[in-house]
Amino acid sequence: MSEIVLQTEGLTKYFKDKPAVNHMNLKIPKGCVCGFLGRNGAGKTTAIRMLMGLLRPTDGSCSVLGCDSQFLSPQIRQRIGYVTEGHRLYKWMKIGELEKFQRAFFPDQWDAKLFNDMIEYFELTKKQKVKNLSNGQRAQVSLALTLAPNPELLIMDDPTLGLDVAIRRQFLEGVIHLITRQNRTILFSSHILADVERVADRIVVIDKGMLKADCTMEQFRSAIQKFVITFDKQLPADVNVEGAICCRSDGSLMEITMVNASEKIVSDWAKNAGATDCKLVQMTLEDQFIEFTAPAKKGKLFDWEYN
Amino acid sequence: MAVWIQILSGANEPIYSQIVEQIRQAIAKGQLGTGEKLPAVRKLASVLVVNPNTVAKAYTILEQAGMVATKSGSGTFIADPKMRTSDPADINVLAERMDAIIGRAINLGINRDDLIKMFNDRVNTFVDNERGHK
Repeated sequence: MSEIVLQTEGLTKYFKDKPAVNHMNLKIPKGCVCGFLGRNGAGKTTAIRMLMGLLRPTDGSCSVLGCDSQFLSPQIRQRIGYVTEGHRLYKWMKIGELEKFQRAFFPDQWDAKLFNDMIEYFELTKKQKVKNLSNGQRAQVSLALTLAPNPELLIMDDPTLGLDVAIRRQFLEGVIHLITRQNRTILFSSHILADVERVADRIVVIDKGMLKADCTMEQFRSAIQKFVITFDKQLPADVNVEGAICCRSDGSLMEITMVNASEKIVSDWAKNAGATDCKLVQMTLEDQFIEFTAPAKKGKLFDWEYN
Repeated sequence: MAVWIQILSGANEPIYSQIVEQIRQAIAKGQLGTGEKLPAVRKLASVLVVNPNTVAKAYTILEQAGMVATKSGSGTFIADPKMRTSDPADINVLAERMDAIIGRAINLGINRDDLIKMFNDRVNTFVDNERGHK
């Protein structure tokens, strides 16, 4: 097992009497790009803020780069790049001033060439004031400021929120640029699953503050599977096959989403229940995530039957 | 590299599998010949904007199928066709794709003989093109 750079043990945070993060045990090994997934309000930002030492856990603990998050020394912080949600920057500063300001925290490791190249690539100039930048440009500056110190660990809280497709792609390129240098570790939250699939090799899913998955991308992609089963006559009244998380039916077809099930168990069950055909269909990561965290409800939100 | 890989974001097919398929196609079409070198994992990862582990996984699968061979220190090369193995799972995939094509042909009202003739013609064109590349 490789070195663990990010760890939580029983990490819990209550806001009043409501748990935002509930007994989370997480281990992120060095060198991976981890997509941190969860629906709105699942507790991602709270968890990240605790990891960065900005919020005190109600219970449990967390550490980054082997150091308890509540006691991160400036030396440890120098090794971490942190991008907050919304890319907040000092509005009254010019880009060049921001650079000087940020650089002072990383005197020995600032890659001035990388910073200048990125600013030029983004078609920005150092004389521009932050208050005159668009959301996308602010995100670009924030990315350049975070990558220039060449961080060992990069933590980004929904960095591509609200960005256009071209700037999102630049973010992904930045991530890939960083990981193609050896042993960099990245944790980023995002709601854009197609982006996550491109750059992440590890996935953490939290739901209502609870950890629901912590595995490699490949494991997640193969663990959640959909089967389309055709029945000759009647559909079985009950889907009593272990691992089923979601089930829909229409006419003589039934669609079952399974977690960690072997194809054989499902096809055997289907055969016993009178099925004539049982087919495994590939799912997108987005569909997998939706069915994993938000199984279809019985009732419909909208009723499409007009007559 | 004489191969153009296009990643479809958010597809059903996992990204490593998209890379494997496209390299297989390029080899079949003769765009990548025996002994030709594939780009380094990190290089291809940067170009495609995907995780390097995903590219590495694709190369491993190709290697297991005998499509490519890795020479330590110098890179990954297209292997001699004699080294290729055929996996029963791959043959299943082939059968499924044929089913899809047959289904589409029935939709279009193409009869059995015409479909078989069409298939033969395509195979001939494909083989001719491959010879042309060499």
